[in-house]
Amino acid sequence: MSDENKQTNRLELVIAFLIAIVSLTTALAAWRTNAVGSKAGDATRQGLIDTVKKQASTNEDWRRLYEEAGYSQSYAVTLAGVEAMETSGDPVAAVQAANLRKYLLPGIIVLTDPLGTDPHYLLDNGTYDLEKRFADLQAEAPDMLALDPQASFKLAEQYSSEQRWLMLGTILLALSLFWLALSEVGGSGLRLGTLGIGVVIYLIGLAWFFIVEVLFIFLRGGAL
Amino acid sequence: MNETMVGQGKQPSEPTPPPAAPPPAAQAPSKPLLNTERWKAMIIILTMINTILVAIIAGLQTDANIRANDANRDSQYYAVLTSGELHRIGLQTNYDMNTFARILDNGQRSLVMGLTSLEQLQKGDEAGAALSSLQEKVAQAQSDAATKFSIFYQNPRYAPKSSEEQPDLQKYLDDSNVKALELLASQNAAADAYKIWSGKSDSYVAVLTILAIAFFLFGIAQSVNPRLRLLFAGFGILVIMLGVGWALVILIG
Repeated sequence: MSDENKQTNRLELVIAFLIAIVSLTTALAAWRTNAVGSKAGDATRQGLIDTVKKQASTNEDWRRLYEEAGYSQSYAVTLAGVEAMETSGDPVAAVQAANLRKYLLPGIIVLTDPLGTDPHYLLDNGTYDLEKRFADLQAEAPDMLALDPQASFKLAEQYSSEQRWLMLGTILLALSLFWLALSEVGGSGLRLGTLGIGVVIYLIGLAWFFIVEVLFIFLRGGAL
Repeated sequence: MNETMVGQGKQPSEPTPPPAAPPPAAQAPSKPLLNTERWKAMIIILTMINTILVAIIAGLQTDANIRANDANRDSQYYAVLTSGELHRIGLQTNYDMNTFARILDNGQRSLVMGLTSLEQLQKGDEAGAALSSLQEKVAQAQSDAATKFSIFYQNPRYAPKSSEEQPDLQKYLDDSNVKALELLASQNAAADAYKIWSGKSDSYVAVLTILAIAFFLFGIAQSVNPRLRLLFAGFGILVIMLGVGWALVILIG
């Protein structure tokens, strides 16, 4: 075997090893890119679940608020009627009013609790502070109040953004693999040139991947 | 159209050149040996261009896919918020309308009892008139109490400007629906964006498939004789042009 043939065989072996390394790197890069995409999907899914849970809790708070508000208003209106009877000067009406106060109003006021019973919600004009009651209802479920779908969506967007840039790195790695393969099967005249291009693209792809990973992990405060 | 008509054909007076002599048999085998590597460099450059195009379009496809997913998420998010807002509007409107109905009911009742009292007084039924008067006062007190709770009388936007006028219910309904309509508009916009980006993403996949065909054609071109190599390269170029054209249409559209 001539020296030239020996050198060619050695170069082919080197390229074969390079192809193996680049293939492995490309597979890992593709896995990582998909994993990041999957994390974006998970964060989106979590955000949507939190949205539904939070909205369901808010819907229930609105329902309770207007239920209490309806009973409180009924109480106030009935009470106004009773007071009118009491001040009418009619002795029969006064007795009727006394019995209404004794037997009817206590039953209604139970239904208004706590909006109609807690002076905290009573306004100067005799009506009730519905906004304050709603805020208190929301505060009664701190776990629901703590849910932040927007935070999940922001995280998902960050992962998606990382996926975009990692995809570019993966493409560069795949490109380098193509050039290395071309170098292995191509004629001897083009071998060194294509090998050089392949190695340069591989190194750029690798550096790109590394920089993007470090940058986004830093942006997420260390979370992978 | 034949050659004579355009004046570019052979003139009858020109002497016909003698046919070219066939090459000597001894030189024939050396020519194909010299040309086997011909156009290979061009094929490599074309392949390189194709790989770069594939890389760009794969990036665009990923981006379109991510945008489609984001828009899909937004449309679902806004759908949940819209449904919640409609639920809230339903409860609030029900409360406000019931309050308004209570005001009207007690107000009318008071009026009728007042008229009845006068009627009974004219007939000399003083006891009946006193009872009707009491009922009038009770109903009026209840109507007044309900008025304090009514947005239609407490909010100057809807309150009647004079005692003869009625509250502005239409303005109330319009105002009630503003937030829900805004959310619905956002939901529709997000759903439309999803449709657009999803369509683009799918189309980019089709372009990538076309460019994969170009790869195949260039691969074949590398392994055949120079004449066929050029033919396959031509097909490959056509396919690339088709793919790039389509990608541009998707990008601009």
